[in-house]
Amino acid sequence: MNLSGAFTFAGPRATVWDLLQDPEVLARSLPGTERLTRVGEDRFEGAMTVSVGPVTAARFAVTVALGDKAPPERFTMQIDGRGGVGFTRGTASIALTEPPEGGTLMDYTADVQIGGRIAAVGQRLLESVARAMMRQALDALNRELQARLDAGAGPR
Amino acid sequence: MPADTRDRNARVPRNEDARLLTGRARFVDDVRLPDMLHVAFLRSDYAHARLRGVDASAARRRPGVAAVYTAADLGDYSKPAPLLVPPPPIPGLVFHACTHLPLATDKVRHVGEPIAMVVAESRYVAEDALADIVVEAEPLEAVGDLEAALAPGAPRVHDHLESNAAAHVVQRKGDYASARTRADLVIARRLLYDRGAAAAIENRAIVAQWDAPAEELTVWDTTQAPIPIRNGLARMLGLLESQVRVVAPFVGGGFGPKIMMFYPEELLLPWAAMRLGRPLKWTEDRQENFHATTQERGQVHDAEMALTRDGRILGVRDRFLFDTGAYDPYGLTIPINTQCTLLGPYDIQHYDSEFTAVFTNRTLVSPVRGAGRQHGVFVSERLLDIAARELGLDRVEIRKRNLLGPDRFPHDHRILFQDSAPLVYDSGDYLPALEQAADMIGYDAFRRDEQPRARAAGRHVGVGIACYVEGTGIGPYEGARVTVEPGGTVRVATGVGTQGQGHYTVFAQIVAGVLDVEVTAVQVVTGDTREFQWGTGTFASRGAVVAGSACHAAALAVRDKALAVASRLLDMPADRLELAAGRVRVRGSSDAGVALGELAAEANPLRGAVRPGTEPGLEATAYFGPDRGSTASGVHAMIVEVDPETAMVDITRYVVVHDCGRMINPTIVEGQIHGGVAHGIGNAFFEQLVYDDQGQLLNASFMDYLLPTATDVPPIETAHRETPSPFNPVGLKGVGEAGCIPTGALFAQAVEDALHGFGVEITEIPLSPSRLFDLLQRGSRP
Repeated sequence: MNLSGAFTFAGPRATVWDLLQDPEVLARSLPGTERLTRVGEDRFEGAMTVSVGPVTAARFAVTVALGDKAPPERFTMQIDGRGGVGFTRGTASIALTEPPEGGTLMDYTADVQIGGRIAAVGQRLLESVARAMMRQALDALNRELQARLDAGAGPR
Repeated sequence: MPADTRDRNARVPRNEDARLLTGRARFVDDVRLPDMLHVAFLRSDYAHARLRGVDASAARRRPGVAAVYTAADLGDYSKPAPLLVPPPPIPGLVFHACTHLPLATDKVRHVGEPIAMVVAESRYVAEDALADIVVEAEPLEAVGDLEAALAPGAPRVHDHLESNAAAHVVQRKGDYASARTRADLVIARRLLYDRGAAAAIENRAIVAQWDAPAEELTVWDTTQAPIPIRNGLARMLGLLESQVRVVAPFVGGGFGPKIMMFYPEELLLPWAAMRLGRPLKWTEDRQENFHATTQERGQVHDAEMALTRDGRILGVRDRFLFDTGAYDPYGLTIPINTQCTLLGPYDIQHYDSEFTAVFTNRTLVSPVRGAGRQHGVFVSERLLDIAARELGLDRVEIRKRNLLGPDRFPHDHRILFQDSAPLVYDSGDYLPALEQAADMIGYDAFRRDEQPRARAAGRHVGVGIACYVEGTGIGPYEGARVTVEPGGTVRVATGVGTQGQGHYTVFAQIVAGVLDVEVTAVQVVTGDTREFQWGTGTFASRGAVVAGSACHAAALAVRDKALAVASRLLDMPADRLELAAGRVRVRGSSDAGVALGELAAEANPLRGAVRPGTEPGLEATAYFGPDRGSTASGVHAMIVEVDPETAMVDITRYVVVHDCGRMINPTIVEGQIHGGVAHGIGNAFFEQLVYDDQGQLLNASFMDYLLPTATDVPPIETAHRETPSPFNPVGLKGVGEAGCIPTGALFAQAVEDALHGFGVEITEIPLSPSRLFDLLQRGSRP
């Protein structure tokens, strides 16, 4: 499954970059994430619960490794999730640019392989579920960004 | 048609139906034993991965778990499963036997391959414990496509082989290359047939019980082959065959996958039951069935047919790839069936056929109803349809010009069939069957009047007509024991298992016909090795032919015994006696005579002497082993209407003219044909197992895998022709698979005819509404 798209954050690139490297922020933003903790320089481990059609509340142990980092422009994520109903493996590439109209433009593309029961019975819903999760995550990140910018601006 | 006798052409009701319809028939899942434990399997989610370790310690600690086994716990028992069918002795044949292990060790090679087995107080606990097991697996690139599998540098399913080629077989007759030089027309096409599931209502199930004081193992198994399972388990577990009893009670549909052996579960439950000293049960769920029960049908053909301008076939060349899945325990039965069945009812003098069996990271392949025959029919029928179009010939006419005439039997094709015997057609009469099918469907009138009228009204209607033969009733042998009980009931025991075919009726009819008793007075028992322990199983449309012939022979022997006992009792030469209505009497007299049951009691005295040269009781066992199979044949025709907007196909008529030699029970023959046609329609238009390029099955549920429903299967009009087989005493040919063999070819032809003008040429099965829609958008004709 290939997921790609673009999203504009209403804030400066350096702050967006920091958010994307912060496991606590990511854990709050990614739907179904129970926890995500840093276990190495660019390595995180955690747990997620996902529902896809007839497969409800499927729990996955997740490992995320960041690579090819060129702050604040781009990085890649290797994602590996395993659980009782299947697995997911994939690579995502993320690029941040500063468009003339302001804000930060994120271009992302991800190749994700999904296997086991979750692929076998949830196939026709997988892509829409993945897109919905991605949209929710990006909206949540944007809210995190606003909160951080507001906090940085101090009391008004 | 009127019944000839009880055992010929008699529409008697089925003896087993009262039990089946009132829920009194026992299935494996009905077996509930005291102290029974339940089993669940941890199966691979990966299509291809290296196993680095399996940690079951947490699962073992879970309350209610009795045992967890991984490959490491199996010790010497962890051996590759036996090769079930060694390949036939075809010169130059290459075959790499790679059979599966009970539990994966170093690698997993398909989704659903078992890695660990949990035994617990309930299935709930066992399933929960599966989640406690930690598998360290390193995913590998999977082999998900037949052609990519053979490309240089492709990942290898079996590391020790040089490539993913599992086998390579060439069979030739005549000289195709030179025939081709004389051709006026050569039609060459690439033709595809994809996988489907057998989708029996009852999934697989096993119960195993070790009786330690008696030192006896009893296994209830949904297998189509209880006797070979018994023999194999005895060998592998170090027991005497007489210490093992395998029972295949009523089974809710076989369709082929239940002849596969040994499934890992079949190996593991008996072994673990002996270790734990408690009975174990495992019932496959539908999810497991989609991944762990064998499947069929993935083939890619590059075929060509050379013809004269008047439509006579000079020869056929076919090169094909056959998807055998991750392992090949069933050998080459399917592709050899394909290779042989392609010749069909036609006079093809020059034939050059070559196939490569290919390992892929997909579920194992073993025969599913039709077992490769439909691919051969698809190739020859499609090439004939295209040739007819190119030559401006009618599709019925081109077939008529190529059929083998009735004077050509027995017909030796000079190649080898799946049973290692030469492919010889025993008997047949093909032209009248084709004419009858064309007549029944109203082929000429449809083409002349109805189709032009419908087309003028903007409707897209088409007709198809397809011929096929089916090799059935192969050896090696089956046996039967017929016993007359003192109460007069006749009991028949045979080794083949029953999965709904009507064995309890058909075998009863054969015996009732010989002994002249009521069919309901004959009780049949099948599939219990304690009742009968010699035989092979239910496959290749052979139950009636081979086991039926054995029943016939045993009944004849019992009749002779009954006459001999009556001769002594009545002091009358045996040749002056006859059997009538369950009694022996003086021929032509109106005496009451003596009941068979009384003779049975007389033949088993408490005092006196059983004379030398005679045996007690009225009982006989007989065997039948045909040198080679008998060849059934038929013609299917259908009329369809296609809606090009939705690409839905409405089958408005379906005609089957079928010849399975002498018929015992036309109702049962028709039931087999109807079921087969439904299966064939599913395979043609609804059912497809869709794998991605990494070996993941994407539609493993009945939400996404569409079986044809009652509204998708039209009423089926059948006519029977009887060309008796000279290869068995009753003249029988098999019928179990016939209905689904030509259906794909027929469907393609009829739909293509309906879409005349859209430039659609159909070279693949299954279609689906969305695939047909794609073809309509593209106009696929080259």
